[in-house]
Amino acid sequence: MKTYLIKRLLMLIPLLIGISLISFFVMHLAPGDPTALFTDPNVKPAELARIRANWGLDKPVIVQYFYWLKNAVRGDFGTAYLINRPVTEVIFERLPATLLLMGASMLITLLLAVPLGVISAIKKNKFFDHAVTVFSFIGMSIPSFWLVLMLMLLFSVQLNILPATGMYDPLIKSSSLFVRAGDLLRHLALPCLTMVIISLAGITRYTRASMLEVLRQNYVRTARAKGLPERIVLFKHALRNALLPLITLLGMMLPDLFAGAFIIETVFAWPGMGRLGVTAVFSRNYPVVMGVVMMSAFLIVIGNMLADICYAVADPRIRLERRD
Amino acid sequence: MGKMRQILCLILVCFALLGCSFQQQKHASRSIDKSGTLVLCLGGEISILNPILSSDSSSSSVEGPIFSGITKVSEDLEIIPDLARRWEVSPDGKTYTFYLRDDVKWHDGKPFTAHDAVFTFNSILDPKVNSVRRGDFIIEGAPIKFAAAGKYIFQAFLPKPFAPFLASMGMGMLPEHILKGKDINSSSFNQHPIGTGPFKFKEWISGDHVTLTRNEKYYGGSPLLSSLVFKIIPDENSRLIALEAGEVDESDIPPNDYSRVKKLEKVNVFEYDSLTYTYLGLNLARSIFKDKKVRQALAYGTDKKQLLNLIFRRLASPAYSPSAPVSWVYEDEVNKYPYDPEKAKKLLNGKPLEFTVLVNQGNKEREKAAVILQWQYKKIGVKVNVRVMEWSALLKIINSPKDPKDFDAVIIGWSLGLDPDSYSIWHSSQYPAGLNFIKYDNKEADRLLELGRTTTERAKRKAIYQRLQKIIADDQPYVFLWYPKSVVAVSKRVGGLSRPGPAGLFLNIEKVYVKE
Repeated sequence: MKTYLIKRLLMLIPLLIGISLISFFVMHLAPGDPTALFTDPNVKPAELARIRANWGLDKPVIVQYFYWLKNAVRGDFGTAYLINRPVTEVIFERLPATLLLMGASMLITLLLAVPLGVISAIKKNKFFDHAVTVFSFIGMSIPSFWLVLMLMLLFSVQLNILPATGMYDPLIKSSSLFVRAGDLLRHLALPCLTMVIISLAGITRYTRASMLEVLRQNYVRTARAKGLPERIVLFKHALRNALLPLITLLGMMLPDLFAGAFIIETVFAWPGMGRLGVTAVFSRNYPVVMGVVMMSAFLIVIGNMLADICYAVADPRIRLERRD
Repeated sequence: MGKMRQILCLILVCFALLGCSFQQQKHASRSIDKSGTLVLCLGGEISILNPILSSDSSSSSVEGPIFSGITKVSEDLEIIPDLARRWEVSPDGKTYTFYLRDDVKWHDGKPFTAHDAVFTFNSILDPKVNSVRRGDFIIEGAPIKFAAAGKYIFQAFLPKPFAPFLASMGMGMLPEHILKGKDINSSSFNQHPIGTGPFKFKEWISGDHVTLTRNEKYYGGSPLLSSLVFKIIPDENSRLIALEAGEVDESDIPPNDYSRVKKLEKVNVFEYDSLTYTYLGLNLARSIFKDKKVRQALAYGTDKKQLLNLIFRRLASPAYSPSAPVSWVYEDEVNKYPYDPEKAKKLLNGKPLEFTVLVNQGNKEREKAAVILQWQYKKIGVKVNVRVMEWSALLKIINSPKDPKDFDAVIIGWSLGLDPDSYSIWHSSQYPAGLNFIKYDNKEADRLLELGRTTTERAKRKAIYQRLQKIIADDQPYVFLWYPKSVVAVSKRVGGLSRPGPAGLFLNIEKVYVKE
């Protein structure tokens, strides 16, 4: 297991370098450059050329890449254009907002979706299952921007009980931690609810399918045949195996936890990573784009690796296969 | 991002021409809340809070109340004293002497002097500082020299007379005692600015909001608001909901939502002409547009009334020249090419014409205009293809310094600033590198543009720019489309607003208040 781990970790290095190389070139292939957005008749082309040179953009892309790589391996992802601050600082500033929103909504989604999926599978083709299926599909098919507007109109305008935008109430004067936490939770409520509604369906369906798959297995039939109570068959034998694929799913969700959700963050004016990344792409803020891409890439490979390891730990069949 | 239009310099006086609604001043009966907070909203992220480095409108909006300049702009769009009490111009038009106020303190208590002004402009001129404003202070290759002739006397020596100079003296001043010897590009000052304006910086939560507090020692008198918050809300619909829910006190209103917002009880809606115009730019480097008759045919074939009815209802007015009706140099007596498809067909003389028009994605008005023009021009026998592109990609095409550029036509806009100088847009030297990306080349226009910059006498300048508008309207290198109106909704609890106009409702932010 130890050599396997070390091998996996070492493989990450060329993988990440490859990702960075491709992203860097693809990013520079997109037409436009960061100074193009200073479109103002009083700004002379010579000034833009001077600023591009100050940013090192006058050098060939391959040279720029090696400069970037040389600094990146030392943990320096460069200085964001316009914002004029280290990229790592800009990213870490936005990270807490994203972790809070994504973490809370993923947790709530899992706590709701897993039981719903399991019960649906057990009650397959009964009323409960149909109801969950119908609601899942409604949740999946509602356009998120429309759902958001409806939630905002209901809770913020009609009932006026929850704030529609932002993460903090700038008018709060009290410095009491309790008041501030309450304020944060109130601001979190609507974006979190939206995220849950949107992602609930997928995981519910996933759990249901996985549970059904397991219920069809021979060992479940055997358990039933030897007269075990249904409760034990379901929860002791079936559920544990049915939840295994969820590990993969969680591994896949890990990058989202950090990457944020652009549309939700935009409509709720939530100051997260999604907005940072997309704004950076549109304004061709290359250092920020690279920073965000590399962070996501790192989390994706780590997420996959963790999922594989957890899977191996949780499922003896996989471990046995590997020893062969 | 669609808002990223451009700043030309124009001074405006003709408010009589504006169709503005004045309603706000009457209801000041309720008492002023001295501890009140005003929450304004911004559509874009704030990048940096340093007036010589920032280049986006959100950052400028926040810098406005923190920093002050040597001069400022009045409601009538005249240049008036701010940190200077008065100024003198030498008879040769090359030396400006500004007599500064001696009662101005930085937010940290240190006095503001002429040395700060010299430091600010020299920093802009420093090639290592990433300031896009540097070109404003270089006239034909020679930089303007700045000097302090005393603690409160500040002088600028121009290499030659340059009329637009005074407009650029509104630049926010930087404190020398904090920034001297530091790397201005990366200083932490840019996140914790110190200025001389009516509001002091308090906090900036990235992507969420910036809070400013009252500067009681402001030389223009203590502001009436206790604090001022700028909240960032990127989505248009969310801004409206935040306004309805009372989370912000002000929001821009897109044309589609005008009638709905007008019905809201809690807000006043202001509409006023802005300093921008939208046009169909024709690439004159393309053989199809070289003939003036073809351009005029397109102008005759454009039904502007129908175009505006379909897109804006009444929140825009038709444009005919490269100036705006609110400008003091605006000339109404230009060739307006009234809609006449028969005349258009006659001018085209049966020649087949087909071209592609570029338009930036996400700008609903321009996207609609492209489709409507496609349909209108079909009636005069011209085939138009519409290509919708991302903003940066579109700019890359029109800004690429090559000749000819890879486009036929583009729907885009200019946002005009305080001075009428439009050299960078129309002068033939500004092609292929420069903003004359359609390759407009007219000797008489070139001469007028050069003359307009060096003439300081107002009446003469006005005549020059009016003549220029006639020439350009006749040449029709752009088919001028419309002047959009700014529509802004402000909560009824807010008072002390400026007269609605291109300078904005919150121009004198120290006089704005909220009612209890």
